Amino acid sequence: MITRPRFVAFGFGLRENLSTFEALGLIKSKLRVFSISLVIILVITSSGLVFGAWYLKRLEDTITEKFEGRKWVFPSKIYSDSYLLYIGISVRLEDLAEKLRRLGYFESPAEPKSKGEYRIAKADNLIEIYLHDFEFPTEHFKGIPVRISLQGTIVRRIESMATGKEMFSLELEPELVTGLYERIWQERKVVKLSEVPPLLVKSVLAVEDERFYSHHGIDPIGILRAMWVNLRSMSFQQGGSTLTQQLVKNFFLTDERTISRKIPEAVMALIAERKYSKEMILENYLNEIYLGQRGSQGIFGVWEAAQFYFSKPLSDLTVGESALLAGLIRAPNRLSPYRSAEAATRRRNVVLAKLLDDRIITPRQYDFAMREKLPQRALVKVTNDAPFYVDYLRRELEENYSNAVLTKEGLRIYSSLDLNIQRIAERALVEGLKKLEAAHPALRRKGDDSLEGAIVVLRPQTGEIKAMVGGRNYPKSQFNRVFQARRQPGSVFKPFVYLAALMYGGQSGVKYTPETIINDSQFTWNYDGRDWQPSNYNNQYFGAVTFRRALENSLNSATSRVAQDVGIRRVRELAKRLGIQSPLPAVPSLALGAAEVTPLEVAVAFSTLANGGVRSRPLAVRNVIDQNAQLLEKRDVRNEQVLSPQMAYMMNELLKGVVDRGTAAMARRWGFTRPAAGKTGTTNDYKDAWFVGYTPDLLAVVWVGFDGQSKLNLSGAEAALPIWTEFMKNATANMPVTDFIAPAPLPGEDVPGNCAPGQDDGVGSAPCPPAVQTRAPAEAL
Amino acid sequence: MASVARQVFLAVIALALGAYGCAPSPYRRPLPPNNGNIPAPRLPPAPPPAPLPPPEAARKPLPQEGRIREQDLKSKSPVPNIPGRESKDSFRPSSPAESSAAPESAPAPLPDDSSLLAKITPGISPQRAASLRLTDEGSKLLDAGEAAKALTRLEKTIVIDSTNPYGYFYLAKAQYRLGRYRESLNFLDIAESRLRSEPFWMAEVQALRGDNYRALGQVQRAEASYAQSLRFNSGNRTAADGLSRLQADPQSVNK
Repeated sequence: MITRPRFVAFGFGLRENLSTFEALGLIKSKLRVFSISLVIILVITSSGLVFGAWYLKRLEDTITEKFEGRKWVFPSKIYSDSYLLYIGISVRLEDLAEKLRRLGYFESPAEPKSKGEYRIAKADNLIEIYLHDFEFPTEHFKGIPVRISLQGTIVRRIESMATGKEMFSLELEPELVTGLYERIWQERKVVKLSEVPPLLVKSVLAVEDERFYSHHGIDPIGILRAMWVNLRSMSFQQGGSTLTQQLVKNFFLTDERTISRKIPEAVMALIAERKYSKEMILENYLNEIYLGQRGSQGIFGVWEAAQFYFSKPLSDLTVGESALLAGLIRAPNRLSPYRSAEAATRRRNVVLAKLLDDRIITPRQYDFAMREKLPQRALVKVTNDAPFYVDYLRRELEENYSNAVLTKEGLRIYSSLDLNIQRIAERALVEGLKKLEAAHPALRRKGDDSLEGAIVVLRPQTGEIKAMVGGRNYPKSQFNRVFQARRQPGSVFKPFVYLAALMYGGQSGVKYTPETIINDSQFTWNYDGRDWQPSNYNNQYFGAVTFRRALENSLNSATSRVAQDVGIRRVRELAKRLGIQSPLPAVPSLALGAAEVTPLEVAVAFSTLANGGVRSRPLAVRNVIDQNAQLLEKRDVRNEQVLSPQMAYMMNELLKGVVDRGTAAMARRWGFTRPAAGKTGTTNDYKDAWFVGYTPDLLAVVWVGFDGQSKLNLSGAEAALPIWTEFMKNATANMPVTDFIAPAPLPGEDVPGNCAPGQDDGVGSAPCPPAVQTRAPAEAL
Repeated sequence: MASVARQVFLAVIALALGAYGCAPSPYRRPLPPNNGNIPAPRLPPAPPPAPLPPPEAARKPLPQEGRIREQDLKSKSPVPNIPGRESKDSFRPSSPAESSAAPESAPAPLPDDSSLLAKITPGISPQRAASLRLTDEGSKLLDAGEAAKALTRLEKTIVIDSTNPYGYFYLAKAQYRLGRYRESLNFLDIAESRLRSEPFWMAEVQALRGDNYRALGQVQRAEASYAQSLRFNSGNRTAADGLSRLQADPQSVNK
């Protein structure tokens, strides 16, 4: 028998010499393979389709959510107090110019013609300003050109340059201090497409997407053109992205130029074009686009860019300015006129040429725009110059507004902060602490327990907090010692004892006056079955001293005797009435400042004295308005007469003695000559050094110490007073000199006069103590 | 004859008596040295400060300013009566009638002294001048019904010149118009302490005080304040109107 060779080929191969049975089996197996393959292909295809549909749906939902939901978040902004100029106020031209510069005004060589310009005429000692528009919380101000004439440093005339009408005062808008935001600060104001000038729209389209109205989200011609240009140059010179693609990228995607990012971008652009109109896409684009940077503040949207570069509303933009804004889109920081006027001008000219080619502008418009000079301006960055103050503000705001509202709803918060005083305070504190460390090397510490300080400044008449510095280095430590640190005030508490004595008299029947004789000698105070023995500094006792002298020289023993006679509870209640809110135990050592308080409380309490017995609540937040300029909150001055003006005046006179003759007399030697009252404070074991001092118009409290309660070994006069003096000299330099005014006496009463050295004060028969000592008397504990 | 003589004698006596009665008094009371202007009222001494309660007595905590919440102010309804606020303060007199007393007899209406710009005289400090002008602006805003704007303006007056008493008065008025009666009374206390020598303005202070008490429903105090105002200045329209409204309908408050 002959055997048939047998070979089989897969698929469509030949079969030879196979039996029918074998052939049928082969066909079956091939069909099986084919079916399985088909099924696999079908599964893959349908999975792909399902996944694709799901992915597209997801993209569509993402786009819908963004386009129809909240597109942008708006950080809240914190502003300082406004600045009031009036006839008779003292101001230097240079300081006024610096203020204007910080407010975003720029100097012009000629008479200001546009809002935001100013001109200084030194020869004529005048300044001309074209004021910005500004929305104050209760009214809207339209900017007008004004002229301010000075005689020396005194404002003599303020007039409107438009009408010639004289004005008696002028308010400069508040400065932007900082924003409250989560990750990045996007500054934008959303405008409708109808509010954007057509020329600006056309300029943007001409340079970024000239076939915007003909494509459906992606522009194949643009892509091909860009590829050709890039291939020729062998570098990435052009992108082929449409406006829609750019918008999608900004909304959802990263900036990387990769295929993996470009594909979803293209798909999303197609979806967006399918769902939304061209106008809506264009409007979103014009509001979304990034156009510059001002410090930590990013400039987004055309409205904000017009303000940032030209201080103008959109409607006032010229042809050249519109062209520049359109040209900046490609590289806002590199082409910014703040960085390089030449680069910005070159780019503007390129755009102008394109506009001319496309017949969007006429040759005449082109020529005119080419001749426009870009303004030479210095960029004023928004830097938070008052971080401790802002933290305090934030804490107050969080009582009524959540973090989400503060960082996303675009509130405008107006505060009492005076940035000029804030800078002076910060400089005084930081430099003062450095000088202390230089003079006393033992104070130099490394690590977390370095020498620290705090300063808080109030305006007594209104309670406004004008400045707050909670530490020497905010980046290192945000702990705000002004209102978060409770420390013993030491002798700073003594005025409450003396005030209580004047008001209530002693339980022994003594009616205290500044000339009452007190015994400054050792004694034991038995209270609640326990003995307490106050001691004077250096165990030095002075015997019979006047009430006035005991306060001026801060004598512990004499003060304690007075407190014992008056009753420590009365002292405590009086301190609370003046504004101390911390718990105050009614124990004898309270008289010498053993209970812990914050510098802010001390400031409020003493401002009651400075303000003629009127206690004002401390004010940092003044107004809060929302994005629509609706007033959400207004915090007004709240005053309450808690002491008679006569009593307050008497205390002020006594405390003036502390500065003129007493423990703070070195302030006079250091050059602070204005009428002022104050009190030094040093605690047991020299752990805290204080000085609280004030004129009728400004009060400042300074604290110096270690957070870890290490010893300073310096008194309040040695550690805190120099910082206070330096601050007050600079902060009051341009203020008029004022003194505490004696109130009208009640019938049958005399108001004690000023006890200048060598003069009888007219109250008692004893003359005043001798003149200022050659060095500050030792601060008694 | 005797009867005729008696009649003549009686007639002479009668004539003499009649002449005596009709004759002008030989000496007029001299005019006060200030040409007939009402002298400043003699103020009684301030009441002694109220003694603190004994240590062992249970005491209510001192009133907290924070109890007046911003929501209360925004609602413009009378602020809740804070217990102890009126009486515990040893400085503030417990009743307006016990504060600055006016002369017992009703003097003639005082001339209008309300013009603030008239007080800007040569030699005045620039701060006072600016403060008075701003106060004037603030008062005009109040007249125009813009109390919130007025308040912002008026706060600046005391920043520029904390001794300007009229600023405090108009701040009190602005607070009253905004429905913040307690704050208005506080500012009036301050204004009063600075305006003691000006009876025209003392009358204004008392009249506004009366308005505040009336708004707070404290009818007796309102009446006393209005009466006090009229004693300072019988021509004070606010006090006269307020008093007549109260007398017509003691329950009508906030009208």
